[in-house]
Amino acid sequence: MLAYQLKIAFKSLKRNPVLSSVLIGGIALGIAVSTAFVTVYYMMASDPIPDKSDRLFAVQLDSWGADNPYDDERPEEAPMQITYQDMVGIMQSDIPTHQSGMYRSSLTVLPDAESDRPFRATTRLCFSDFFEMFDVPFAYGGPWDSRADAGPEPVVVLSRDVNDRLFGGEDSVGRTVHIEDRDFKVVGVLDEWRPMVKYYDITNFEFGESEEIFVPFNFNRSLELYSSGNTMGWKFYPGNEYEDFLQSESVFIQMWVQLDSREQRQDYVSFLNAYTEGQKELGRFERPTNNKVRPVMKWLEVNEVVPEEAKLMLIIAVLFLMVCSINLIGVLLGKFLARAPEVGVRRALGASRRSVFMQHIIECELIGVLGGAVGIVLSIVALKLINGLFSEGTFRFALDLNMVGAGVLLSLVAGLIAGLYPAWRICRVAPASHLKLQ
Amino acid sequence: MQFGPIFRALMHNKTRFLLITLEVAFTLAIVVNCINVTLDFRRQYTEPSGMDEDNLVIVSTQPFGPDFKEEEFVDALEREDLEHLRVFPGVVDAVSISAIPMSGGGSATGRKPLDSELEGVTVPHYTVSQHVVDALGIEIIAGRNFEPGDFELERDENGDIPHRNVLVTQTMADALFPDGDALGSLIQNDEGQLTETIVGIVSDMQNSWPSFLEGKNRVLFFPGQPANSRRMTYVVRAEAGAMDSVFTGIESRMIETNANRIVTVETHAEFRQETFEAQLAMVKMLGSVSLLLLVITSLGIVGLTAFSVTQRVRQIGTRRALGATKGDIIRYFLVENWIITGIGLLIGLGLTIGLNILLVNVGGAPKIEWPLMVAGMALLWVTGVIAAFVPALRATSVAPEIATRSV
Repeated sequence: MLAYQLKIAFKSLKRNPVLSSVLIGGIALGIAVSTAFVTVYYMMASDPIPDKSDRLFAVQLDSWGADNPYDDERPEEAPMQITYQDMVGIMQSDIPTHQSGMYRSSLTVLPDAESDRPFRATTRLCFSDFFEMFDVPFAYGGPWDSRADAGPEPVVVLSRDVNDRLFGGEDSVGRTVHIEDRDFKVVGVLDEWRPMVKYYDITNFEFGESEEIFVPFNFNRSLELYSSGNTMGWKFYPGNEYEDFLQSESVFIQMWVQLDSREQRQDYVSFLNAYTEGQKELGRFERPTNNKVRPVMKWLEVNEVVPEEAKLMLIIAVLFLMVCSINLIGVLLGKFLARAPEVGVRRALGASRRSVFMQHIIECELIGVLGGAVGIVLSIVALKLINGLFSEGTFRFALDLNMVGAGVLLSLVAGLIAGLYPAWRICRVAPASHLKLQ
Repeated sequence: MQFGPIFRALMHNKTRFLLITLEVAFTLAIVVNCINVTLDFRRQYTEPSGMDEDNLVIVSTQPFGPDFKEEEFVDALEREDLEHLRVFPGVVDAVSISAIPMSGGGSATGRKPLDSELEGVTVPHYTVSQHVVDALGIEIIAGRNFEPGDFELERDENGDIPHRNVLVTQTMADALFPDGDALGSLIQNDEGQLTETIVGIVSDMQNSWPSFLEGKNRVLFFPGQPANSRRMTYVVRAEAGAMDSVFTGIESRMIETNANRIVTVETHAEFRQETFEAQLAMVKMLGSVSLLLLVITSLGIVGLTAFSVTQRVRQIGTRRALGATKGDIIRYFLVENWIITGIGLLIGLGLTIGLNILLVNVGGAPKIEWPLMVAGMALLWVTGVIAAFVPALRATSVAPEIATRSV
């Protein structure tokens, strides 16, 4: 029966190709725009590291001044980053499974190749735990040994792009890269690593690309590296030397820990509280103790990482699809009622209301599915266009299976909702009246 | 033309009536809100910067090599670069600066009038070499420009500069001294270790953060040597029409002087474009959505009106047979369309405001102004008329004798 009804539905669509393409095109546009816009929101709002986002925690310490909250509008909030001295202090803890302070800077890489000019590479200074903690994928080699952190030993992890540029994409582990005034040994090369939200550092370019090279944190001192992200301070510090900066109340370090169990988390919070109590005795931490240890999704939520624009697009997308559906109802109604005489004959020949209804619903669903298929193809194009609106590499919006599924579901639902009323109207056609007309 | 009969006829076909009304209402709500947001974004990225922006070239250099560890070396190179840039053919002036206005990068601190008990004002600031006013294309409004003496800075035992003469923009002067007595006044940081004298007030210009809405024209210029071992940045102002030759020639001139650096030359327009990338993207996306929606809605109106024409072929025939002209028939369908879209627009007015309230709350959109609302309604009304005209025209081709046929 279903096959038969599908056959009739196809025939009906073929009978008036212009009208059918308007119908299918209309729903396709609706699906295309809404799927594309929903995808943008979904990718920005989705969990960047679903396997362990509930075990990774951003650490915040409220080191700001007594009458001087970090955020005037939300005085209960602690700074997003911590000072150098506090990082050194709390990294004494052996409670976390993994931990790393980190920040973004940039270093000049001097390629050996005659043909290549020196370039500034975005650089993350971090500890060896960084890579395992964030499940960073390696193409070759791996993280540096934790002993290299202390030295610090001149070791470097390259992103895939930089390895392509310097070594033509070969396994470069063990080879040397000249960075600034010294030679660094390559210990690892990353595979493609591109979380949509750069959740580990959202202080600037939270949707930007991850860094090009990674070096042990403690090179910050010998290379005197300031952050290329936000540095915030509340207290004047005398002097202009790098060491003055490190000992100041300026925050520029993102601090992350991995805590696998509830007890571990409790222990760590107690540790932090004890640490800040100790600091209070030294005259620091003027504000009430306000340390925060927040899991990834909470961290992203509190800092409102999903831009308002994405929410706006989501709302527009839903309404857009709605107008397309209303439009579909109208055109379907016209199409079906124009067929009233024919349906009248069928009814007179014994077709039940139910089967007439089903027949037309199936036709609507067919339109929905065809429109959905075209719409999903169009939404891929739309996402490509959206990516093209931003400078290269900012966004890589693309459909994933969930979104394709959502698109198909949306088209089925749109087809059903739009078809219900017209199908109901046509199945109520009285057999007699139209027979008379004929 | 009488509304009564048309309206009663409409009521016989409530569904069609309702569908077009709803479609028009929602389309109005979406289109007006999209345009509203779009205009807001557009306003943000087209707002003048206050600088001679069309003629500004940004030269960013990132030094490498051991020489740059020496402060004297960096300072000497900065002076040499500036000399070269200023005599470069087609260049008006050049300045060395610590950050690029409107780029999103820079520094800000707090300042307040000397000995004031008030909380400090957030002050975006730039450390600059001489010639900043001419190089950016801003003007001195009151007081004086920097003089060479302002750059002879005395440092304390920590290397800090306890006192400097500074320039501020008009907006900055007003923020610090609402009574208008900024010129010649002293300002200080929160704890008072640093003080400055305002020796000149310059015309407003945008600082590094266009998103810092109420304070985007606050700027304070410190005299000094902004170049350091990690970066040296210059803003170069070209003569009108000389932009292209300046732009293409500078990079090699800089490398000639010292090759141990990465040199990037960009126009200020490129920075503006990068800074407002998201706004530009939103304008394009929402603009396309509005356009698509108008097309879809007009197709819908065409379809539904055409359907109603088909359904009423016999009635039209009868009216024609009874003496109605073709014009009467067209008028009938157009008036019908006006009634439907009119009611749709009224409902849409409510929906538009409702959606606007929602978007103001979750999407950071501005409130809709009445002129825009009226323009949006006019746009949809015209669209509706055009869309109804095509099928209405077809209705006139119905022959009067059709009324006499029984089949």
